[in-house]
Amino acid sequence: MTAVSTQDAPERVRRPELVGLAALAGAGVLLAAVGARWFTGPLAVVALALVLAAIIWLVFTAVAGGPEARRRIAPYGLLKPGTLWLALFYLAPLVTLLRLSLSTLPSRFAVEAEFSWEFQNYVDAFTDFGPQFQRAFLYAAVATVLTIAIGYPLAYVIAFRGGRYRSLLLGLVVVPFFTSYLIRTIAWRSLLNDNGEIVRFLDAVRLSGLFESIGIMDNGRILQTPVAVIGGLTYNFLPFMILPIYVSLEKVDPRLVDAAQDLYSTSTAAFRRVVLPLSMPGVFAGTLLTFIPAAGDFVNAFYLGSPSTTMIGNSIQDQFLVQNNVPLASAMSFVLMAIITVLVLIYSKYFGTEDLS
Amino acid sequence: MKRSIRPRAVELSRRQFLIRSGVLGAAGLTAPQLLAACGGDDDDTSAPSPTDAPSGSSPSAGGGGDTLFFENWPAYIDPTEDGLTGTVDRFMDATGIDMRYSEAFNDNVEYFAKIQPVLGRGDTIEPDLIAPTSWMVGRLISLGWLDTLPIDQVPNAVNLRDDLVNPAWDPTGEFSLPWQTGFAGIAYNLDVTGRELTSVDDLWDPEFAGKIGALTEMRDTIGVILLSMGVDISTLETFEQAAPAFEKLEQAKADGQIRRFHGNDYFDDLSNGNFAATIGWSGDVAQIQLDNPAVRFLFPESGATSWADAMVMPKGAVNRDAAAAWMDFAYDPVQAAQITAWVQYVSPVKGVREEVEKIDPELADNPLIFPDEATLAATRSFATLSEDVEAEFDAAFSRIIGA
Repeated sequence: MTAVSTQDAPERVRRPELVGLAALAGAGVLLAAVGARWFTGPLAVVALALVLAAIIWLVFTAVAGGPEARRRIAPYGLLKPGTLWLALFYLAPLVTLLRLSLSTLPSRFAVEAEFSWEFQNYVDAFTDFGPQFQRAFLYAAVATVLTIAIGYPLAYVIAFRGGRYRSLLLGLVVVPFFTSYLIRTIAWRSLLNDNGEIVRFLDAVRLSGLFESIGIMDNGRILQTPVAVIGGLTYNFLPFMILPIYVSLEKVDPRLVDAAQDLYSTSTAAFRRVVLPLSMPGVFAGTLLTFIPAAGDFVNAFYLGSPSTTMIGNSIQDQFLVQNNVPLASAMSFVLMAIITVLVLIYSKYFGTEDLS
Repeated sequence: MKRSIRPRAVELSRRQFLIRSGVLGAAGLTAPQLLAACGGDDDDTSAPSPTDAPSGSSPSAGGGGDTLFFENWPAYIDPTEDGLTGTVDRFMDATGIDMRYSEAFNDNVEYFAKIQPVLGRGDTIEPDLIAPTSWMVGRLISLGWLDTLPIDQVPNAVNLRDDLVNPAWDPTGEFSLPWQTGFAGIAYNLDVTGRELTSVDDLWDPEFAGKIGALTEMRDTIGVILLSMGVDISTLETFEQAAPAFEKLEQAKADGQIRRFHGNDYFDDLSNGNFAATIGWSGDVAQIQLDNPAVRFLFPESGATSWADAMVMPKGAVNRDAAAAWMDFAYDPVQAAQITAWVQYVSPVKGVREEVEKIDPELADNPLIFPDEATLAATRSFATLSEDVEAEFDAAFSRIIGA
């Protein structure tokens, strides 16, 4: 029995392994194609039937196949839900968007874009919206740095000095965010109003002159300046920075600091060489959680900005929903995604936390 | 601001409703109407008009149980407040029609973008009546996205002002009936400017840097600027003739002079002083003045643009009888005068002046509501552009105002 099975094993096992992989990949591609509406009507039914057959076969083999086959096939069976989920809800929309970005509108008020390998959309996205791209990344970067500057000390205090009020303090960080994002942003409009309390207070304490000279105010206003947009981004994304940093700081064992000080480290050195490195995964996660959505945000620039502070998110929204130029908007979305991906890859290469884990 | 559709005189309207539905039900007329309302796509047969020519100001066409949905611009009808009954409520009381009125318009282009994917696929949008600006009416007609109006059920349509009969945007007059007309000029907040403005050039005063607005309505913003440059906008044919205004606006944006481009949503900014001045619409200022008396409207000496918003029925709108009843109601000079007295725009209905005189004699002498010769001589309406040229204008303008 054993001799036979070991001899037969290579042949019996190699095939299902490849077939399992092919079945999984095939099912994923088919599902994505159906999701992207490449296949419609009877073709879609056939494709879905094939996907279903692949699923049933993988499950059947994983459950009832021979022990070797089961061992080899089971991983593909386990990968299936995730793969198919991604195929349907990530790959399919992405492929649709890619297709749209290479389409043209046959006439000015056409509803359906026609696929035509229109690479000009990408050229237009770059040439017509350069300033908006630059502003988006500049504002998002400044806002991210500001959230670190504000969020880190706050998370530190809550984690190390919070004592029994920790949960309460953390709750207070989150509570304002029970109110809608939109409402909070619009509320800043009334707060920063040219004749509102904040501006009038700054006038009254004679700070407006100073603020004008360092560029925080412009002709007696804060609202609808870059400062307001960056401020809005910082405010809105702050918890996404505080929470990850808090989590990584909370895990730091205070005895490590004691140990460092026992070894004649000053408290600054202990922070710099022990606490800070240990909290970097939180900063890294917070940066991604803040920078990526902030770069694509359009709400803050829409409500708090002016025509000269628009970000790429506003342009995409305008092209999608006002100009109805879906192909160009799709191309712009792709360019935005590409740039963000590259930036994140570079960032994680240089500031990544692999060596810490 | 949003109007509710609660009938005020509940008992009266309910009684009317019962009487009407009883009568009509006996006549077997409600069934075909219900069927028609369910059908939706073949509206030509869906107008089983129970009466051939309803007379007077309370048309009985349609009967109780009818509904109507009208999407219009903000601050564009008299609401029920301060002890006065608004036109929508008066209409509902008079006819028993359940009317839904919403202020969904902010900007023609924005609204078009909302309805384009629906009407473009041949589906129907919810409202029975919408009130886009004349040039947009022309576009909707040429795209074939409108139904003709049941004008034969609107006897009061004869009250339409002579200069608006068969207008350029709707040469046969069968698709549209104007709602209001008016002017675009400069709206400013005296508290912020500290002086009365006298011309369009005041908008470019560096003192107001970052405190100037402009409409996202190309024909009004570019129109007002072009007029200030001495260009006659009613005879424009090519983009080159209008280019200086586009350059001016683009420069103003680049200089940070422009705080925001806005649709109809500029009341707050002007009232609370975020705007020193903006290009705005005459009647709106009357509404803003209720909040802040320091807001003024300047009819520029160089000229103001004149425009018209017109009621049209999007393709496949079901409640044709109710829409006819509404238009007839709104074209009764007595009712129209109530609207005029509140919105303070130029009414398209003849005989309104006499009625307004009874309400408020001072209003009857306001040249912004009842324009005199001099006012009319200084207004221009934007030329009807050929399709290619319009595309060029639109592209250039959206590049400036778009994000």
